[in-house]
Order: sequence, then structure tokens, then C-alpha cells
Amino acid sequence: MKSALTPRRRARLSRLGPNLVLIAAALFFVAPILSTARQALQKVPMPLLTWGTATDKWTLEGVRRIFDEENFWPTLQTSLQLALATVVVTLVLLVPTALFVHLRLPRARSLVEFLTVLPYVVPPVALAAGVAAFYRANARWFFNWSWSLVPFYVIMALPFTYRSIDAGMKAIDVRTLVDASRSLGAGWTRTFTRVLVPNLASSLVSAAFLTATVVLGEFTIAVTLAKRTFPTFSFEYFGRDPQGGVALALLTLLATTMLLLGLTVLTRPKAQRSRRSRRPHPPTGMSS
Amino acid sequence: MVEAADVAVPAAAGRAGAMRSRSAGAVRQRMLAWSGLVPFFVFLIMFLLLPTWGVVQKGFSSTDGSGFSTESMSAAFTGERQALIGSLRLSIVSAVLGMVFGTLIAYAAATAKRPKWLRSVVAAFSGVAANMGGIILAFLFFTLLGRQGLGTKLINEGIGVDLYGTSWFDITGFWGWITVYQYFQIPLMVLVTLPAIDGLQASWREASANLGGTTWTYWRRVGLPVLAPSMLGGFLLLFANAFSAYATVYALNTQSTLLPVKISFLLQGDVGGRSALPYALSTWMIVVIAAAMGGYLLVRKRAERWQA
Repeated sequence: MKSALTPRRRARLSRLGPNLVLIAAALFFVAPILSTARQALQKVPMPLLTWGTATDKWTLEGVRRIFDEENFWPTLQTSLQLALATVVVTLVLLVPTALFVHLRLPRARSLVEFLTVLPYVVPPVALAAGVAAFYRANARWFFNWSWSLVPFYVIMALPFTYRSIDAGMKAIDVRTLVDASRSLGAGWTRTFTRVLVPNLASSLVSAAFLTATVVLGEFTIAVTLAKRTFPTFSFEYFGRDPQGGVALALLTLLATTMLLLGLTVLTRPKAQRSRRSRRPHPPTGMSS
Repeated sequence: MVEAADVAVPAAAGRAGAMRSRSAGAVRQRMLAWSGLVPFFVFLIMFLLLPTWGVVQKGFSSTDGSGFSTESMSAAFTGERQALIGSLRLSIVSAVLGMVFGTLIAYAAATAKRPKWLRSVVAAFSGVAANMGGIILAFLFFTLLGRQGLGTKLINEGIGVDLYGTSWFDITGFWGWITVYQYFQIPLMVLVTLPAIDGLQASWREASANLGGTTWTYWRRVGLPVLAPSMLGGFLLLFANAFSAYATVYALNTQSTLLPVKISFLLQGDVGGRSALPYALSTWMIVVIAAAMGGYLLVRKRAERWQA
């Protein structure tokens, strides 16, 4: 009966499999978000939930309850401060390094690139073990210092952040810009603030956002080294009050999505990235 | 960090050779140029290499934490075999499933003509979801597939399958972890294979058809061989990803017998730093991941051959 199919119908039939795959995937990825929203916002216990009660008792009370939590604001503040510090250290360390590689030491490029992906090989829990092994024994004050997580978060985010900054520099031809600026009489400071920073803005912003999302979600090192951060609070709160915990998860998810949307909007005007940088960054997954 | 040394030493030796043939001024210039990278190197040594060295050194000490010995490493291997095997099993199964589903989804998205935005939405969403992980993901799935989850209820009432009717599935057990891990494994695979699938030329398919090949011949002789290196690379990446993941599985079940959970548990208990066990286990973890990532780097070269 094959001949009965017109080419158009056959083409449509051949898309049946792929379309089913896409629909199933969409279901799998959206379903947990929907069920989280329901549990956070509807005060109907699961056994009582039927089509008849599906619209009952939707309330923001679970969300409101989070803000009354004694440790919510302090731990959020801690994590935001850690994120900010990590962003600052990352930029101060990596921008000059990447500039140096591009302007003076192109031959060091592959070595530096290799070094920046090394953190993939040391999983967060092993890094935590390393912090315990080395710093607890040799520099106790540092181990106990409230900012001591910052350098390790810089390391954890390094593969993403260096790639982002490096791609930004590749796209704008730093050397020509710097030569032009210098030959027009600008000093280093002026070149940096008036030429480099504006041109690199989108890649610096995306490096900063990536760093911030890593820090705001990092759980492994914090819990292993008994530091109190926002993720460790979320975990502890979920154990105590599942509905509130789920509302908190929903809120965190929303905030992260907003951050990422903000990132897309902020970096869009300068979309003329190089072909290389458009490639997906393969090993980005290392979930803590 | 064995690899770091392996790579850095020959490179340094090569540079030294080149330097000797130049004048003292050129040498100074060179030194000056490299000096710009000093802060970066120092930072990396202090906060990545020294901690790693600390782990490996304590891993290769006797069980009371002194001297050089392979005692702890073998004790960790035999004594915590359950955690090691559990982690390997979880990583391999979740990586195989992620590889299959990820490739299928990437193919479906890359070949879809309508709607136009589909492909970019899939790519953008994958970029976000591949980084999901963490404890939040565990909470999301509790509400869906937990004992009191919405999905559990819908599946039970919709198609009459009680997920918790047998002991087979539990969100806090092996197949629950596998399901949850797919949430970041599949998107990571999509990111890895999309460029490879874009590299499949329509003309290859036409050529195969003109030579009398069926769809099956095309996939067996052309499509899959071209995609194979990317898929293998993706598998290794997904494996390493699952092997090092801690937060999600810990939040799903704090009692889970997996390597990272075990290490964290031992570290939290061992405040005096006397036991060598967590460090030996961490060393094993680093060895396994280094092997997987090394393999990934090797196959990636081949995978990029057909990509524009």
C-alpha cells in the first residue's frame, strides 16, 4: 500500500517519530516544574486532590511563610556576598590573565586553556576533601574564615568563566583595539576603561552571571565543610517544612530563570560572536 | 595532578631550550611576558593543586594517616566496594540512557522544519537544564514522582500503573536517581551532539539513496559512524558528570551508598582529620574521572572532523 501515500503524506509520517520524541521530552522537562508549582501554591493534600478540587485553595501562604524563617535572610545575604566576592575575584584574576595571553603570550594559550578545565577532574566533594586535608591542617584560620569558600568557588566556575572571557576577547581582536587606542595616545588605564571594558561587556557580564549561579546553588562544599549558606538552609528547611521547602524551590527556580533571562537580554545587542564561541560549551554539566 | 605535571614539564623544557639560543635581553623579555601569568598560576596552585595534592598524599598514606603506603587505597577499594560499584552503576546507566535520549531529542530538534524557533529553544533550554543539578532538582522530583507526587497519582489514575506498587521504583532509590539525573544528563547530551548532527549533510543521504541504500543502510554505513565519536564523547562526559554529582542524590536520600555521599559523610564526621579513608576514596574518584575526561579529550578530536 506504499504507493497510496503521496510524498507529502509520507514526509508527514516520517516526522511522526521525531515529533513524538519532542512532545515526550517537553512533558518530562515541564512536569516537575508544574508539580512543584502546584505543591507550593495549593493547600490541598495529594490524597484529596481530584478534578473536583483542582481549583481549590490556591494560596501564596507557603511562599509568605518562607520570609518569616529566621535563617532565610541571613543565609541569603551570606550567599549573595559570597557570589559577589567570587565574581570580583574571578574578574580581577581572569581578565588580566586572558589579556596577557591574547596580547603577549599567544603560545601560552593551550596551556592556560588546559589548566582552566582541570577543575572538571576534581569533583566538588574531592575539592572539599582537599580543603580539609590541606587547609584544616596547615592554615586553620583560613579554614574557619567566613570568606574561605570564595577561592574554591572561583576554581569551580573557572571552566565556564575563562571560556566566556576568552571567547569575548577572540571576537573583538583585542590586539588591534589596544594598538589603536595606544597609538592615539591613550594610557593603559584609559584603554582599559574606555576601550576594552565596553567592548568586552557582554562576555564579562555573562561570566559574572555564570559565576553567581554556580555560587548561589553550590551545596556540596558548603555542607561538607559545615558552612551555612543559602543552599544548606534550603535543604534544612525542606526537611522541616516540605511545603515551605517546595515553595522555596519554586522561588529559587524563578529567580534563577530571571537571572538567566536578564543575561540573555543584557548580552544580546552584541551578538556578533565568533563561530567558535557559538559552539556549545560541552562540559558544563558538573552539577555540584 | 599527574596530568598537569606531564604537560607542563615538556613544555617548560622546550622553552628552556629555545631561550638558551637567544640573547640575555630576549630572555628577560620572555620572563617579563610570562610574569603576567604568575597570579593565575599561584592562584591555581594554592586553591586547586595544593588541595588535590593534600588529598592524594593522604590517600597514599597508611590507615592512621602517616608515611607513604598504598594501604589506605586498597583498604578503600575493598572496604567501600559497595559505594564504588553503586556510583559506577549509577553513572554508567544514567550516561547510557542520557546518551540515547539526548541524541534522539537533538536529532528531532535539528531536523524539524517547523516551528522555526524550536531548535533555538531546545538549545537554550538545554544550556540551562544541563546546569540544573543541585538540591533544587531533588525537590522538583519529590513533588512529581514521590510517594505523594502529582505524577505518581496521574500515572496511577490515568493508566492504572502504581509506581510504588512493587519495590522496583522509589524516588529515593536507584531508578529514582536515574530518572532525576536524566533531567541534566539529557540536556548535556543535546549540547554535545547538536553540532555533530548539524554536520550530517543532506547530500550524504541523497548519495546513499541514489546508490540504492535504504534508510537503514544510510544510518548503519554513514549516519552512525559519523555520529559515533560524538556519542562516545558525550557518554564519557555524562559518565563523569554523574560520577561527581553529589547534591541531588544526597537530597533525595541522605543514606545513599554512593561514593560522594560516603566521602562527605566521613569528612563531616572526621573533624580531627585522622582517618585516611575519605581521602583515599577521593583519590579513587579523581582517578576514575581523570580517565573518563582523558578519553573525552581523545575522542573529541575525531568528533570535530565532520563539523564545520
